[in-house]
Amino acid sequence: MSETQNLVVARHDARRAQARPTSRFERKQRIRGWTTFAVMAIITALILTPIINIIVLSFQGGQTLSGETIWTFDNFTEIFTETPVITYLTNSLTVTLGTTVFGVIIGAMAGYPLSRLRNRFARGYSLTLFVVQGLPVIVIVIPLFVVFASLGLADSLTGVAIIFIAGSMAVTCWMMASYYDSIPFELEEAAWVDGASVFGAFVRIVLRNSYPGILSAAIFSFLVAWNDYLVAVVFLRSEDNFTLPIGLQYFFQQNSTDWGPVMAMSVVMLLPPVIIFAALNRYFSIGGVGGAIK
Amino acid sequence: MAALLAPSILLLVAINAYPLVFAIGQSLHDGGITGAGDFVGLENYATALQDPAFWNAAWFTLIFTVVSVGVSWIIGMTFALVLRNPFPGRSGFRLLLLLPWVVPVVVSTTSWNFLVATQSSPVPTLFRALGFGNVQFLADPTWAMITVIVFKIWGSFPFMMLMMNAALQSVDPSVEEAARIDGATAWQKLRHIILPIIAKPIYISWVLAAIFTVNDFPTIYLLTGGGPVGATNTLVVFAYRLVFQDFRTGYGVAVAFLITIVIVAVSVYFFRRINRAPLAN
Repeated sequence: MSETQNLVVARHDARRAQARPTSRFERKQRIRGWTTFAVMAIITALILTPIINIIVLSFQGGQTLSGETIWTFDNFTEIFTETPVITYLTNSLTVTLGTTVFGVIIGAMAGYPLSRLRNRFARGYSLTLFVVQGLPVIVIVIPLFVVFASLGLADSLTGVAIIFIAGSMAVTCWMMASYYDSIPFELEEAAWVDGASVFGAFVRIVLRNSYPGILSAAIFSFLVAWNDYLVAVVFLRSEDNFTLPIGLQYFFQQNSTDWGPVMAMSVVMLLPPVIIFAALNRYFSIGGVGGAIK
Repeated sequence: MAALLAPSILLLVAINAYPLVFAIGQSLHDGGITGAGDFVGLENYATALQDPAFWNAAWFTLIFTVVSVGVSWIIGMTFALVLRNPFPGRSGFRLLLLLPWVVPVVVSTTSWNFLVATQSSPVPTLFRALGFGNVQFLADPTWAMITVIVFKIWGSFPFMMLMMNAALQSVDPSVEEAARIDGATAWQKLRHIILPIIAKPIYISWVLAAIFTVNDFPTIYLLTGGGPVGATNTLVVFAYRLVFQDFRTGYGVAVAFLITIVIVAVSVYFFRRINRAPLAN
């Protein structure tokens, strides 16, 4: 056998040796992947039953005489024409947007010193935020109700939004601080050398590079404000000021057997957070929470 | 730079610190929701510590918190580990599994009510069909406890999944590879390599979830209202009822304060432990 033939055979053997196990490995991987898919699909469907249930019931309008389920939009038409759901929705959106905007601004500002300062004060403040985060809302809500009543902020959307901002502040501060941690300090130093003020460098260098952090904090604030029940139930007393959680609960108590409209209102309430998560999920990182605890 | 903290400090003082001081005063008086009442010293605290309803609520709060944090962590961690490996539809599952946490509690309790509340609801019907007899998920004390705990686990495992997913990203693949080459089984790798590396985020997730759970109001209030016969009463619901239904503000605030003291003590303890966690990064 000539040199070249030898080489060709050797190369062929090598390719065969390489190719076969790879394809077997790949096939095994693929089977394993689809097995995981199947198992996860079953588990996920079970877990999501309560949510699927809401959506299915919201489109059901009773049964025909022959026992067939009627599929309809009537439940939605009914709540939008016969209940103040639009008022609830507007109130919820107002409170939530207010909380998100101001909450993120405050968190974005406070996160910066928490990320950059390594002194006792910053550590102490970080611990304070940690402890405050743990305070039962109930212990703050009761005295606040008395205080806010004297300021005219009880039964007001502004008052509720202020409490949400304070309530989500610890987490938004941490999220922002941990995002800033990932931005190299040298960038600001360079800006300072070029004559930028501390605040200027913060806004133009750090904030401009922190959109994912800002988005995470915004999503968190949104969820806190949109989903809260306790603060709203204590503070919002008149129906004109009801947010969706209170409105839904109020409606549910009056129509507890009429599931169609109740579930239609539930769908109205669950859609905004679900849409936001579906769209922005990949930007949402909660990993920084507590990472700022030094 | 520290000036950037000003708005947050202002808010902290106005919305957290000031009411807290105000609340200390309230807890030392026997007032109602508006009237200040008479100064009674520590009487409200003494009342709480002698009240069987208080201890009942404290006991259930403990069970509710420990079981739901523990189980939701195990489930969340399992999903986070499964979702690390590529498989078809992975990112879709990651999103779908977050839904129980994203959907407002008021909405999900409504749906759970539909599913379990009465004898003709779907889940009790299914249980009967499977031969488990008549299970009263919200009317039987033991089952009501199980139901609210399962609900809480359902609503909070995605939070654990998120936290653990983020933590697992910090694990260096070469460390795992080294363990694999040394012949470590998957369990050994998890137990002795991965878990110690992410010990700090694990502690943090436990502490945060425990705080969220102790302070959870709507789960209990909307599912069982603390019943039947107080079986699922937690301290937060107990305090709320005292203030807003019995109008015993002083007593209610004292109960809320006792919760606060325990939470602060536990979180400061864990805060110190977190920083001493092995391989804390």
